[in-house]
Amino acid sequence: MFEEASEVFDNMFKSSFPLTFIVFIPAVLILVSPLPAEAAHEFTVYRMQQYDLQGQPYGTRNSILNTEARTMEADVLSRRCVLMRLADFSFDKYQKALRQSAGAVVIMLPKNMSAMPQDVLQQFMELEPDMLTTETIVPVYFAIEDDELLSIYTQTLTSSSSQGSLSAAEVLLHTATANGFQMVTSGAQSKAMGDWAITSLEGRLTGVGGEDLPTIVLVAHYDSFGVAPWLSYGADSNASGVSMLLELARLFSKLYTYKRTHAAYNLLFFVSGGGKFNYQGTKRWLEDNLDHTDASLLQDNVAFVMCLDTVGNGDSLHLHVSKPPKEGTPQSSLLKELEMVISSQYPEVKFSMVHKKINLADDMLAWEHERFGIRRLPAFTLSHLPSHRSVQRSSIMDVRSVPHVDVKRLGRNTKVVAEALARVIYNLTEKGAPGDLQIFTEQMVQEEQLSAVVEWLTAQPRAAQLVDKDSSVVSTLEYHLGRHLKDVKRHYVKADKRVKPAIFDLLLAVCIATYLGLMYLAIQVSGCESGLWLRYQLSACLQQQQPVCSSSSPSAAAARLQQLPCSERSISINSKAKLYFI
Amino acid sequence: MTLFHFGNCFALAYFPYFITYKCSGLSEYNAFWRCVQAGATYLFVQLCKMLFLATFFPTWEGGAGVYDFVGEFMKATVDLADLLGLHLVMSRNAGKGEYKIMVAAMGWATAELVMSRCLPLWVGARGIEFDWKYIQMSFDSNISLAHYITMAAAVWMFTRYDLPKSFRLPVTVLVALCVYKAFLMELFVHVFLLGSWTVLLVKAVLTGAISLASLFLFVNLVHSS
Repeated sequence: MFEEASEVFDNMFKSSFPLTFIVFIPAVLILVSPLPAEAAHEFTVYRMQQYDLQGQPYGTRNSILNTEARTMEADVLSRRCVLMRLADFSFDKYQKALRQSAGAVVIMLPKNMSAMPQDVLQQFMELEPDMLTTETIVPVYFAIEDDELLSIYTQTLTSSSSQGSLSAAEVLLHTATANGFQMVTSGAQSKAMGDWAITSLEGRLTGVGGEDLPTIVLVAHYDSFGVAPWLSYGADSNASGVSMLLELARLFSKLYTYKRTHAAYNLLFFVSGGGKFNYQGTKRWLEDNLDHTDASLLQDNVAFVMCLDTVGNGDSLHLHVSKPPKEGTPQSSLLKELEMVISSQYPEVKFSMVHKKINLADDMLAWEHERFGIRRLPAFTLSHLPSHRSVQRSSIMDVRSVPHVDVKRLGRNTKVVAEALARVIYNLTEKGAPGDLQIFTEQMVQEEQLSAVVEWLTAQPRAAQLVDKDSSVVSTLEYHLGRHLKDVKRHYVKADKRVKPAIFDLLLAVCIATYLGLMYLAIQVSGCESGLWLRYQLSACLQQQQPVCSSSSPSAAAARLQQLPCSERSISINSKAKLYFI
Repeated sequence: MTLFHFGNCFALAYFPYFITYKCSGLSEYNAFWRCVQAGATYLFVQLCKMLFLATFFPTWEGGAGVYDFVGEFMKATVDLADLLGLHLVMSRNAGKGEYKIMVAAMGWATAELVMSRCLPLWVGARGIEFDWKYIQMSFDSNISLAHYITMAAAVWMFTRYDLPKSFRLPVTVLVALCVYKAFLMELFVHVFLLGSWTVLLVKAVLTGAISLASLFLFVNLVHSS
C-alpha cells in the first residue's frame, strides 16, 4: 500500500503544478483548519411589535430574515444581520445600523435581567418607545442569550472587528477560510391580523335599597405592552392593578353577602383589554353602554370611576384627575378619605393629587380615566407613578422580580384603597368614625392571594395581540370574577373596517359611467376634428392632383364628404384612407 | 358589493382604452396582433430595464427622510429604454404616421395596464375594506394612456428625417419631458408634500399640457408635409 501511495505522490509532483496545488493544499488546509464546522443552532427570537394606531405606523414592518451575521464593529453592514448585546446597546448604534441599510437587527438580552446594572436597564426602557416610533422596514428581533448564542456572537465579533485592520490579501484569505454565520428565520412574512377580538370582562355587586343607587366603577386593564409582544409580561403595569381589583372584588363581595354590611352603592368591576393601545376596550364598552343601550348602570347615577394602573410598588400614591373634584361630590369625599386613611394609618406613604387636563390632540391618552372623562363621567386613576410618561408602563423589563412588584407594598396599597372605599360607601366619616379605624384587619387583605394572581399573570405574555377571546387568561379571569361577582359578562371589540355602503358603489358606478360617456364623446369629437384635418389635407391633395389621390371623381368625393354627418364622415374617411395607408 | 367595486375600477381603467381602440380606427386595420406585439416588446424592455437597474445601481445607503435626487435622476434616465422600445415597435410597423403611433401606444399602454394595474385591482379592490387608492389607480391608467400616445408621437416626430429645423428643439424638449415626467412628479410630491388626489390632478394637468403641445406639433408637421 505504501508503494502505491508513494507512486501517487510521485505522479502528483511530476505532473504540472496546478494539479499539485489542487490536491495538496486543500488537504493541508483541512488538517490545519482551526475551527470545526458548526452545526445549525436553533434559538427562539421574538419580533418587535408591528401595529398601526390611528394611522400612525409603529415598529418593524418585516419578518423574514436570511442573511449573514455581523456585529456593529464591521465596516459593511448593509444587507447583513447585526447582532447586538444589551450591554452594548445604544440608540445611536441602532440608528447607525438602520442607516447603513442592515438586513436585520438581533438584540441579545441576558437570561438574568436583574443581574444587569440598573442604568443599562433604565436606558433600554427609555429607548423602547423610540425604537417603536422609528420607521423600520427591516426585522428587529430579540433573543435570550444562551451559551451557544454567546459563542456565535464572540466568533462573529472577532471576524467582524478584524476586517478593518487587514490587508487586501489577508481579507481575501479571511473570506475564503473564516467561519460565517447565516441567520435564517422560519415562518412567513408578517400579516395584519384581521378579525381579532379584544375581550373585556365586567361584573357587578348590586347595592341594597331600591332603584337609582349611585354606582362606583373600578377599572383595570389586563394587557401588557413592550417592544416585543412575546416578551411583555407587564408585572407592575398592569398585573398589579388586576390583582388589586380581584382582591377588592373578593372583599366587597364578602361584605355584600351579609345584610348588615350590604351598602347602598352598586359596585361595577371592569377588567378591560386593549388598554395599552389607547384603551380600546374601555372606549367600546362606554360607547355600547352609553349610546347603544337604554338601561345601563353607567347611564344613571355614577358616583365615580376609579382606574387602577401600576400600584405594585413605590412609597407614594398619586391620584390622577383630569378635573379637580368639586366640594360635596363623591369624588371629593373619596379624595378626602384616601388622604385621611393614608395620613392616619400609613404615614410612610406620600399621597398627592395630580391634575392633568385631557389633551385630545395627543396621539395617546395619558391614563384610563381620561376615556371616562371624555364621556363626562367623573373618574381618576390611582398609580404610584407621578407621570403618565413613565417608561415603566410599557417596557419588556417589567417582570415579576422585585424592582417592579413588591407584594408587601401591593398589599398595603390594596388595604388603603379598600379602607377608603369602605369609608365612602358606608359614609363612615360623617358618622364620626376616626381616621385610624381599620375596617379590614390584617388577615382580610390576603397577600398570598395578591401574590398568586400576580405570579399567574406574569407567567405569560399578555400583549393585546396574544390574548384573543379563547385565551386562558380571559377565561381564568372570567372564572375568578364569577366567583365573587354577579352578572359577569364578556365584551368584545373588533377593529373597524371601513366599509362603504352599497349605495356608494352605485353612485360611483354612475359617476364612472358619466365620465366614460364624456370621454367617448370627446374622442368622437376629436376624431371628427382629426377627420376634418385629414379631409382638409385630402381636398388639398385632390386640388393639387397629387399622385397619391384616388382615381374616383375628386369633386364628387369632396361633395359627398361634406354632406355626411360627423361620425359617418370619420368612418368614411377611414375607409377611404385605407386606400392611402398601405 | 366589493366585486362591484372591482368592476367599477376595472371599467374606469379599461374603457378608455377600448374606446380609443375603437374610435381611432385601429380595429379596421386588424391591428390587434400588432398591438399584442407592441405589448410583448413592452415586457421585454421592462425586463431589460429591471436587470440594468439591479446590476448597476447600488442600494441607496442614506437616511430615510432624504430624497436622493441624483440617484432618482439616474434611474429615470434608464427610462430612455422606453423610447427605444417604442421606436423599435414603430419602425417594424409599416404604415402612416398615426397608425404607427396608435398601434405602438395602444399596445404599450395596454401591456402596462395588464401588468401593473390588473393584479392590484383584483386583489385589493375586491376586499371588504374600501380605499380610494384603487379609483386613483384607475384614473392613473387613463393618464398613462394619454402619456404613452404622446410619447409615441414625440418619438415618431423625433425620428423623422424631414423634421423642420424649427421643430427640432420643441420635439427634443417634449421627449425629455416624457421621460422625466415620473421623476418630476416625485420631486413635486416630495417638495410640496401633496395629497394623493392633488398628485393625480397635477399629473393629469402635466400630461395634458405635454400631449396638447405634442398634438399641436404633430398636426403642424403632418399638415405642412
